[in-house]
Amino acid sequence: MTQHTVPPTVAEPASALVLDARDVAIHFGGVKAVDGVTMEIAEGKIFGLLGPNGSGKSTILAGITRLVPLKSGSLTFDGRPYDDVPTFKLARWGMARTFQTVRLLGDLTVEQNILLGADVGRSSGVSRRAAATERKECVADVIDRTGLAKFVKWTPSELSYGVQRRVEIARAIVMQPRLLLLDEPVAGMTKSEKLEIAALLSDLRAQGLTQLLVEHDVQMMVDTCDHLYAMNFGKLIGEGVPADVVKTPAVQEAYMGKGWRADA
Amino acid sequence: MQELINAVSLGCIYMLFAMGMSLVWGTLDVLNFAHGSIFMFSAFSGFYLMQETGNSLPLAALLLVGVVVGALMSVLAYQLVLRPILRRAKDKDSAERQILIGGIGLAGIPVAIVQIQTLSNPFSFRAGSFEVASYDFLGARISNIQIVIWVVGVLLGTAVVLWLRRSRSGLALRSIGVDSEVASLMGIDQGRLGVAAMAVAGGMAGLSGALLCVSFGALTAESGDVLLLKAFAIIILGGVGSMLGTIIGAFFLAGAETLLIANTSGTWVDAVSFGLLFLVLLVRPQGILGRQEVRRT
Amino acid sequence: MSAWYDAHLILVQATFISFLVALSIQFPMRMGVFSFAGVANYALGAYTAAIVVVRSDEIVSPVVSVGAGVLVAVVVSLILALIVRRLRGLYLAMATISVSLIVQVIAFNGGELTGGASGMFGVISDLTIGSVIVVCVVAAGILTWTERGTLGRRIDAVRDDPELAVSMGINVNRYRLVAFVGSGVFGSLAGGLEVLLRSTISPVNVGFSLVVTALTIIIVGGYRSWVGAAIGAVIVTWLPFYLQAMERYQQVIYGLFVVVAAIFVPGGLLGIADQARRRLVRRQLEHEDQEAAAEQDAGGAAVVDAVGASRKEEAR
Ligand SMILES: Nc1ncnc2c1ncn2[C@@H]1O[C@H](COP(=O)(O)OP(=O)(O)OP(=O)(O)O)[C@@H](O)[C@H]1O
Ligand SMILES: [Mg+2]
Repeated sequence: MTQHTVPPTVAEPASALVLDARDVAIHFGGVKAVDGVTMEIAEGKIFGLLGPNGSGKSTILAGITRLVPLKSGSLTFDGRPYDDVPTFKLARWGMARTFQTVRLLGDLTVEQNILLGADVGRSSGVSRRAAATERKECVADVIDRTGLAKFVKWTPSELSYGVQRRVEIARAIVMQPRLLLLDEPVAGMTKSEKLEIAALLSDLRAQGLTQLLVEHDVQMMVDTCDHLYAMNFGKLIGEGVPADVVKTPAVQEAYMGKGWRADA
Repeated sequence: MQELINAVSLGCIYMLFAMGMSLVWGTLDVLNFAHGSIFMFSAFSGFYLMQETGNSLPLAALLLVGVVVGALMSVLAYQLVLRPILRRAKDKDSAERQILIGGIGLAGIPVAIVQIQTLSNPFSFRAGSFEVASYDFLGARISNIQIVIWVVGVLLGTAVVLWLRRSRSGLALRSIGVDSEVASLMGIDQGRLGVAAMAVAGGMAGLSGALLCVSFGALTAESGDVLLLKAFAIIILGGVGSMLGTIIGAFFLAGAETLLIANTSGTWVDAVSFGLLFLVLLVRPQGILGRQEVRRT
Repeated sequence: MSAWYDAHLILVQATFISFLVALSIQFPMRMGVFSFAGVANYALGAYTAAIVVVRSDEIVSPVVSVGAGVLVAVVVSLILALIVRRLRGLYLAMATISVSLIVQVIAFNGGELTGGASGMFGVISDLTIGSVIVVCVVAAGILTWTERGTLGRRIDAVRDDPELAVSMGINVNRYRLVAFVGSGVFGSLAGGLEVLLRSTISPVNVGFSLVVTALTIIIVGGYRSWVGAAIGAVIVTWLPFYLQAMERYQQVIYGLFVVVAAIFVPGGLLGIADQARRRLVRRQLEHEDQEAAAEQDAGGAAVVDAVGASRKEEAR
């Protein structure tokens, strides 16, 4: 008989889930925009969320960031349940996001827009001055990596759509988040711009940033994500290895009209 | 009984005024802050004409002047101010804000003109050539003017409701209120319908101004502003875009105010509507009959 | 100089008081809170200060009487902020206009306490215009601080996109609360100081026309900065004086100003200045870009792209 040692009571959270969304339902009047979706976002990976228009992708992001109330379900961030934590606190906990539409402040320059993200008070116990220097370096680094150095003094309306989207992404990254939620970040970009962004996201993953990426571009999702969720009509219709998920009949059918085939 | 008669008369006037305001708010998304001063200025125009003609205008002419001036001012306000703002505003929120600000500026102009003309004194039609006669009605007094108000109120109230429910243009107008983009796609000419709606609203405001001036004695330059806030309370109580709600709200407020006047000195009467507005906004911002506003992100 | 000053004392006073009144609406507006409660706060500040002065047997220092008004207005503003916390935009604006008018009705019905329709007289104090100017300068200093750097950016976000602001970790509700309190402070200061300078107050002074005047100041000057309120206050106070013909039609012309500004220049004079400045900066940036592009054509694609986009904007 072997003597089993009792496991320590403060158990490691189950394989370090950054976000645990359980049976989430969000209704707008009679519309069941999200209807019982469970997502387990593990640390250091890029998770994808795929689905046709109106399937509830943006709505679940709004639910996760607590911009809309849940009908039912529970949310846990880094082991902390946050069902009644306001959005602004979540951002300070390290949840950053971009929106589906460009939401830059039109009166601020690109640099000021990005600084808005850097201002988020994530105290790391260091002195104010040290924090300020660190923040400055981070901003400079992100501006460089997103290729925005040339545009810092411009205002959003003076820039092309693709550049505006990059500013949005930069603003989220300078928050130095623990979890980055991206709602169709490359929509409307050119092919080469898309590839640049995909490379940037992969880079960030290599540095350990966990991400949830909502996107229509199936090819990009297959290439970029480690794990894919597929949704339709507010419900999950598939989950797993991206290349496999997109081949399942349910996903194929949901995307038929989009003219994309796994074998194409 | 006498209170009831007075309340119904006042309710009819509130209803005429508030229905027009609700009509353009619910369909064109325009809260016309100048609606109150249009009401006041239409009545003032009647008063002015009456003075110029040596008090020889019949009642019907006064009412007609009210309708015409009101409709004209309303259409002008829409074409020259409100519509350009809607067209130029960068998003829905700033459009809403600028419409309100522009409306407040607009409202100030007729008010200031009338203040100058009347030296801020009340004006009335009392010296008019028409006769005020009273009849016994179930033990209370009802005047011929009150009868006119009731008839006009019932006729116009029903007409507007029927217009919106039954006629082609009414339905088209309502579809703009539900979704103006879809409405344009369906080939609805929003410009012309908008002008029509503003004309109807302004005409009703002018008519109610003339009627109020005849029946309750006198108006001042500022009467319109107070009435505007009352109508806002009425519409909020009934629910934006709901004509039935507006009608109920108008009679409810008129009843409450009449009761207060009958039982107190009446100086608190304006606080009723403001208090009511406040209460409804807190408890049920969408009103008693209104639908919950859906905002897309 | 001194002769000029004596002759224009009333106008100088009016300018500074108008500036404070305008701030009571501009301050919340800059945070996206479209509230007209500033006028109610003006009334509260004025009546409280007047009551304190008239009721006490000894001479009361302006600090005490005006301070009492500020205290009352701040408490009322906090309660109001809690009550209307779910209202936005138009609904908030209309609700707060009604609050102002309710305060007016209360002043009218206040009997002996407020002097009813005829208001209060003989509010005597030793307040000088110098103190009023000091108050305004301090206010401007504090506001300048809120318009710069991190705080300035956050307030911009709270106003232009509250949903974005919360997603950036900004406690929007706290900013809204501050907006109401600020409106209480500025409004009641204006009311308290003015009643001590003029020694009378009556319900007509706190009615709808004050809403229009304050709005005119902000809309003409620009709502994005206290500087706009200052510009507006100067114009609205001094223009009627220099255009004698205007005097009679002053309110008519204010109305026209507001209408024209609402249609064509929603940012006011300050907005026009900002746009002009931005255009200069842009010309400079485009110039730099072209030079850079000429130097190295490789890698300049994105720049050309951006400049092209801005050209398109301009052509429209
Ligand atoms: N605020 C809202 N009020 C009412 N219904 C809403 C609201 N937001 C979304 N919906 C509805 O919920 C459903 C899901 O919308 P959602 O925006 O989440 O879709 P999506 O998957 O992000 O689509 P897309 O690819 O077009 O962005 C849709 O039917 C939409 O009409
Ligand atoms: Mg979406």
